[in-house]
Amino acid sequence: MNFEAVIGIEIHVEMKTRSKMFSSSPIAFGKEANTLVTPLDMAFPGTMPIVNKQAVINAIRVSNALNMTIDNELWFDRKNYFYSDLPKGFQITQDKRPIGRDGYLEVKLSNGTIKKIEIERLHMEEDTCKQLHMADYTLIDYNRAGTPLIEIVSRPNIRSGEEAMKYVETIKSIVVFSDVSDGKMEEGSLRCDVNISLRPYGSDTYGTKVEVKNLNSTANVQRAIDFEIKRQTKSLLSGIPIEQETRRFDELKRETVLMRKKTDSVDYKYFTEPNIVPIKLSDEFIETAIKTCPELADAKIARFKEIGLSEEEASQMIQNRLMAAYFDRCIKVNPKRAKAFWNWLNGDILAYLNKHEIEITSLVVTPENLNSLIDMLEKGTLSFNQARTVFEKMAIDNKDASSIADELGLKQNSNEDEIRKIVEETINEFPQSVVDYKAGKDRAVGFLVGQIMKKTKGKVNPAITSKLVVEILKSK
Amino acid sequence: MYLGKTIEELHELLVSKKVTPLELVKEAIDALKKETTNAIETICEKEALEFASSLVEPEVDNLLWGIPYVCKDNFSTKGILTTASSNILSDYIPVFDATVIRKLKDKKAVLICKTTLDELAMGGTGTTGHKGVTYNPYDETHTYKVGGSSCGSASICAQGITPFALGSDTGDSVRKPATYAGLVGFKPTWGRISRFGLFPFAPSLDHVAYFTRSVKDSAIVLEHIAGYDVEHDATSSPKAVENYYSLIDGNVSNKKIAYIKEINDAIKDAPIREGINKCIDILKSKGALVEEVSFDQNLLAAIYPSYLIISCAEATSNNANLDGIKFGLREGDASSYQEIMINARTKGFGELIKRRFVIGSFSLFKANQEELFIRAQKARRLIVNKVNEILSDYDAILTPCGGIIRNPIVSNESDDDRLDINQMIVENHLGMGNFAGLPSISIPMGLDNNFPYGANVMTKAFDEVGAFNIAYALEEDLGLRNINTVKKVND
Repeated sequence: MNFEAVIGIEIHVEMKTRSKMFSSSPIAFGKEANTLVTPLDMAFPGTMPIVNKQAVINAIRVSNALNMTIDNELWFDRKNYFYSDLPKGFQITQDKRPIGRDGYLEVKLSNGTIKKIEIERLHMEEDTCKQLHMADYTLIDYNRAGTPLIEIVSRPNIRSGEEAMKYVETIKSIVVFSDVSDGKMEEGSLRCDVNISLRPYGSDTYGTKVEVKNLNSTANVQRAIDFEIKRQTKSLLSGIPIEQETRRFDELKRETVLMRKKTDSVDYKYFTEPNIVPIKLSDEFIETAIKTCPELADAKIARFKEIGLSEEEASQMIQNRLMAAYFDRCIKVNPKRAKAFWNWLNGDILAYLNKHEIEITSLVVTPENLNSLIDMLEKGTLSFNQARTVFEKMAIDNKDASSIADELGLKQNSNEDEIRKIVEETINEFPQSVVDYKAGKDRAVGFLVGQIMKKTKGKVNPAITSKLVVEILKSK
Repeated sequence: MYLGKTIEELHELLVSKKVTPLELVKEAIDALKKETTNAIETICEKEALEFASSLVEPEVDNLLWGIPYVCKDNFSTKGILTTASSNILSDYIPVFDATVIRKLKDKKAVLICKTTLDELAMGGTGTTGHKGVTYNPYDETHTYKVGGSSCGSASICAQGITPFALGSDTGDSVRKPATYAGLVGFKPTWGRISRFGLFPFAPSLDHVAYFTRSVKDSAIVLEHIAGYDVEHDATSSPKAVENYYSLIDGNVSNKKIAYIKEINDAIKDAPIREGINKCIDILKSKGALVEEVSFDQNLLAAIYPSYLIISCAEATSNNANLDGIKFGLREGDASSYQEIMINARTKGFGELIKRRFVIGSFSLFKANQEELFIRAQKARRLIVNKVNEILSDYDAILTPCGGIIRNPIVSNESDDDRLDINQMIVENHLGMGNFAGLPSISIPMGLDNNFPYGANVMTKAFDEVGAFNIAYALEEDLGLRNINTVKKVND
């Protein structure tokens, strides 16, 4: 029997707003435990939530990118349950009226087809504390408590590991490019839970679903689903029913392992948060949030193609948001030089960044100076190897290319009159070469160019030099 | 010798330097130490004396300068024990001041004491706090309620120890005890005073409220504690605060005032009926149009059950932070977080609280929510619509605060949750002011063998001035301003 996979995905995105969802406490990663905490974050009696405006703007931007209907009123609800990582004993979330509803996303699969994935809802909520379980005690860090989250819930119309991977990849790109989140799955700023069930093709009921957690990369999303489809298929074919359970992905074994069986679901006793009166979102507010959203990946690709990159080059360029931003600054300096900038960014600059293990934001070479370097290269003032040397020095000094080339004595002479003089001089020094050339021995040209390079320490333009050598030999 | 005076009177004495803040505070603290109604949680003696000593040059235009006051022990006071009269918070020392406490500090009013309440402000009897029953200073036999949940503040203010006392009002928790304690009890429009730092019972119904010994004093206090709290309370109103005190003139000549037939019909004790009639006559004599309106009895009877469901539901969630993990009671050895929570909550809460949490949780369960919580919300909406309908034709609604003058202290603390028809209509209708979030003021209406009973005036949203004016007009003619018949501790 053949089975169809029914997959739904819940994604939690940690927003990188300056302060928390409902308190004025700053947000930062890697700070000493319990230093980013206000009385509200620890649920001291009498504290009250104030909605973070930037978080709302972010949620609107992502909702818009996901083609969702955006609610014109903000409502929050309480989700009530007791847990040691939940200071208030409830989480403020949006249950009845999520800010975004009924959206979709189109992803391009490797076979070239476009899959439309439907999205049920997008809502804002707050994160819990971080717990550190020791042998016989638990430490609680309230720094994370109250960090704004966006939760995006797809409808169960994903059918394969690849579709799921592309879906998560696209959402990641949206939250990263809109500046909403770091979107780092490995650090947990984008977390993804997958629900998978199987059913016979043609069936319209759902099988028992299994939840998979701990997916720390898009590749692992695909791997986990592929594994789970195989596991469930095997199980069903052997007549063993699937149990409702939560599993996690074991990266080393590349398989899902049982975490816990699901018992009766918790009754969260949702009700409207009484300390936040519904907030009207004006059309103007929503439109401004959308209009001012940083450019997303698709728009960037389209724009990069317009200025001369191929589809592949453009896609390559948006793999890293910071590189894309640098590229944007470059083409602002010189819009006609997109291709050359691309080559530098994906060649020498990338190599340099990798070698020094830094992000491009730490590169001291300004787009202006990169542009002047390429200028010199294109005019022939620098050879390619010289340009590389100049770049290495620029990456330390951040001076303009010309003065570094001067300092290093690297400027290449492309002045035809001057080169002609040197060529004639050299030919006169080696009269045999004229005889050889006339006798049809072309290597005489190479010999002369070599002598000239030696004499000038490589500072003459080789192309011009060999052109002139041939010209003068011919005229002899 | 300065006990039993109003803010206005004390202000005169302070600015003319007949008395200093320090002398006032010392006298009040002495009186607190002798008081016998079990109204005190914590006397802030050191802090109060220190602060009072720093107040030297009188501020002529600041009516609260140097005035001592007490507050219910459910306001967060930085560095001062705040228990909400619950064992679960018996060692809780807050790290921040409630907005009202901060504002009063800025105005140089001196907090001298935290007062008892029904545990976590959930209750109307003044009997369920962790220190036991708070008694009514008008009743030396300790037989009759002072009411709650702001019982301690009511008692202290009634004894004249301070001219005003902060409380909180979720159903009638200030306005009802004001009745039994012969005081003015006031809550403004929901959102008029920041609730930041008030321990929540049921936020959609909670109000900062307070007792004073005169209507004008009530206006003075509001002027100084009202206002937008943009950083801390998203439900506070950005509307400008008015000069309530100077706007009181007692002129009601163009007011239209309604009284509700079904409530008046349910009054048990004759003096209350006579009192209400007297109020109607006074208002008419001052030129107001006073008319009877009808209010569907079923809706009136729905106020208390709906209130119970909504308030308990919200309360069970608000108090979920009291789990012994972060602060508050941590009892015994526990091997899991669940055990810590269960131990703390089992030992930390009294029976009534647990009962109300069960009611609240039960009504929020998915399976019951439609039938209980949502239905209560719908009832609330209908009641609010009816109140607003009356207030679209009238400026105010006049009611008795209750139908019985003396309510005995009962041993069964859950008795107040019983739903008999009398209980529901005439004893709990003040809750409509919380449902609708409207200004509502209780004032003494009469004394029956030296035991007070009161009337209430409710007005449209943000018409605090209207409420003060009608109450002032009544106070003038009833002659019950600053009642001083309670046996004072120093007598």
